[in-house]
Amino acid sequence: MDLLLHLLIVIAIYAIFALSLNVEVGYTGLFNFGHVAFFAIGAYTSALLTLAGVPFVWSLPAALFMAGLCGFLLSIPALKLQGDYFGIATLGFGEILRMIVNNEVWLTKGPMGLPGIPRPELFSIVFDTLPRYLILSSGFALLTFAILGFVVLSPFGRALKAVRDDETAAEILGKNAYRFKIKSFAIGSVFAGLAGVLWAHYTTFIGPGDFTLTETILVLLIVVMGGKGTFLGPVVGAVVLIVFQESVRFLRLPPEWTRLLGPLQQMIFGLLLVVLMVFRPEGIIREKGGRR
Amino acid sequence: MDSISYYLQTVLNGILAGCIYALFAMGLTLIYGVLNFVNFAHGELIMWGAYFLFLFMAEPFGLPLYVAVFPALALTGCLGLAMDYSVFRPIRRANRLTLLIAAMGLSVFLRNAAQFFWGAEVRTYGFEVMAGTQFFGLYLTTQQFAIIGVTILCVIAVYLLFFRSRLGKSMRALSDNLDLARISGIDTKRAIRAAWVISAVLAAIGGILLALDTNLHPEMGIANLIKAFAATLIGGVGNLWGALLGGLLIGLAENIGVLFISPGYKDGIAFVIMVLILLARPYVIIGERSD
Repeated sequence: MDLLLHLLIVIAIYAIFALSLNVEVGYTGLFNFGHVAFFAIGAYTSALLTLAGVPFVWSLPAALFMAGLCGFLLSIPALKLQGDYFGIATLGFGEILRMIVNNEVWLTKGPMGLPGIPRPELFSIVFDTLPRYLILSSGFALLTFAILGFVVLSPFGRALKAVRDDETAAEILGKNAYRFKIKSFAIGSVFAGLAGVLWAHYTTFIGPGDFTLTETILVLLIVVMGGKGTFLGPVVGAVVLIVFQESVRFLRLPPEWTRLLGPLQQMIFGLLLVVLMVFRPEGIIREKGGRR
Repeated sequence: MDSISYYLQTVLNGILAGCIYALFAMGLTLIYGVLNFVNFAHGELIMWGAYFLFLFMAEPFGLPLYVAVFPALALTGCLGLAMDYSVFRPIRRANRLTLLIAAMGLSVFLRNAAQFFWGAEVRTYGFEVMAGTQFFGLYLTTQQFAIIGVTILCVIAVYLLFFRSRLGKSMRALSDNLDLARISGIDTKRAIRAAWVISAVLAAIGGILLALDTNLHPEMGIANLIKAFAATLIGGVGNLWGALLGGLLIGLAENIGVLFISPGYKDGIAFVIMVLILLARPYVIIGERSD
C-alpha cells in the first residue's frame, strides 16, 4: 500500500515536471536540455527557506519566483540561439547550476546535501503522511494541469504553436516570436520549480546528485513518449515511465546486478528515445492536427 | 618556479587543453556544416574512442599503444557510420526537434553502454606518471608533446583533405547547399559518409589524447561537448578554422581563468564565454532557419 502511495506521489510530481517541459518542447518547440536546473532551483529555494524557519506558505511562492526569474534571465541570451544551440546552452546551464550547488558549500552544503527538510504545512494542516502528501501533490498536479491547459488553449497558446510551426509567418502576423518564447520558457520554469518544491519536501533530503542530466532525460522521455504538444501525453508518459523506473528499484536483485541495473535502465531510456524518434515521433498520444 | 614561468606554464597548459578542444570542435562543426544539425552524440564518439583504445590495450589483446591506436580509430569511425545508418539517415528529412531528441537519446544510450561494460570508475591506460622534460623553465610530459604534435598533424590532414581533394570539395559543396550539390552530380552519400568518419576519427583522436593526459571515464564525452560547442560558436558555426581557433581560446581561457576563480568552476568558464558571446554578438550564430 505504501508502495502504491509512493508511486502515485512520484507520478504526480513528475507529471507536473513533464507538463512544464511540454509547454516549452511540445507547444513552443524549444529544445530545453537543462530543465532539471529549474526543478533544482525550486527544490533548493524552498528547502533552504523552510530550513531557515520560513513557513511553506511563503517558501513555495519564493521558490516559484526564483525558478521563473532564473528561467527568464537565462532565456534572454539563450533564446537568441537557433534551436540546436539553444539546446546546448540549456544543457550547459544545467551543468553550471550543479557546479554552483556543489561549490557554494556555505549555502547549499555542497555534495553533502540538505537533510531534514520539513514536511509542508498549509492552512495548519501538516502533510506528513503518505496519504496526505498524495493529496497535496495530486492537488498541485491537477492545478498545474488546469492552469497549463488554460494557457495553451488561450490565444497565447495558439500564438506559441504558431511560433513553433512557422516563426516567419508568426512574425509577419505581428507576433514577436522572441518574446513569446521567453514567456513560454519562464512559465515552464515556474512549474518545473513547483515540481522541485514538492520533490524536496517529499524526500526531505536533496543533494546535487538528484539533479543530473539523467533527470532531464527522464522528463524529456516522459513528454516525448506520452505525446508532446498534447494535454494528456505528459501524464500518460509519467505513469508509464515512473511505474517502470520505480518497480525496477523495488525488485530484489543481488547487489552485483544493481551496479549494472542503473546503466542498463538508462540504456533502455536512451534507446526508447531513439526508437520513438525514428518510428513514432509523435508519441503515444498524437497531437490533433499536429505535424511530424 | 618563479612567477613568470608559472604564468607561461599556465598559458602552455591552456594551449594543450585547447588543442584537444579544437579537435572536438572541428568534428562537431564538420557534421554541422554537412548535415546542418548539432550532433549531441559527438561527446560519446570522444569517449568511445578513448575506451576502444583501452579495450585493445587491455587483455585479451594487450597491444602496445602505437598498434592499438589504429583499430581504435577504425572502430570509432565505424561507430560514427553506424550512428548515421541506424539513426540519422532514416530521419534526415524529419524536423529538427526529432533529430535533436534522437541524438540526445543516442548519447544517453552510448554513455551508459560504456558504463555498463567498463563501470563508472575512472581508469587510465596504465602508463606510469613521468616527470616532464624541462626546457626554458617549462615542464612538458611526453603525452603533452604528443598532443601538440598530433593536433598539428590533424590540422594539416584536414587542410589537405578539405581544400586539396575532390572529396573535400564535394563536402564543402554539400555544406553550402545540399540540394544544389545533389543535382550537380555530387555523390552526396559518399560525402556524408566521409564526413561522419572524419568527424568520428577526430573525436577519437582528441578523446585518446585527453585520456592519455588525464584519465578515462564515461562522462568525459558529455563534459567536453559543451566546450566543443562554445569553441564552434567563437569561430562561427560550420567554420573549420574558426573551430580550431575557438578551441584554443577556450583552453586558454579555462587555464588562465582558474588563476582568478575557484577551480571548482573551471568547467563553467566555457559556458560563461558562450553567454558573453551571445550577448555581445547576438546575431552571429543564429544561422539558417530551422526548416
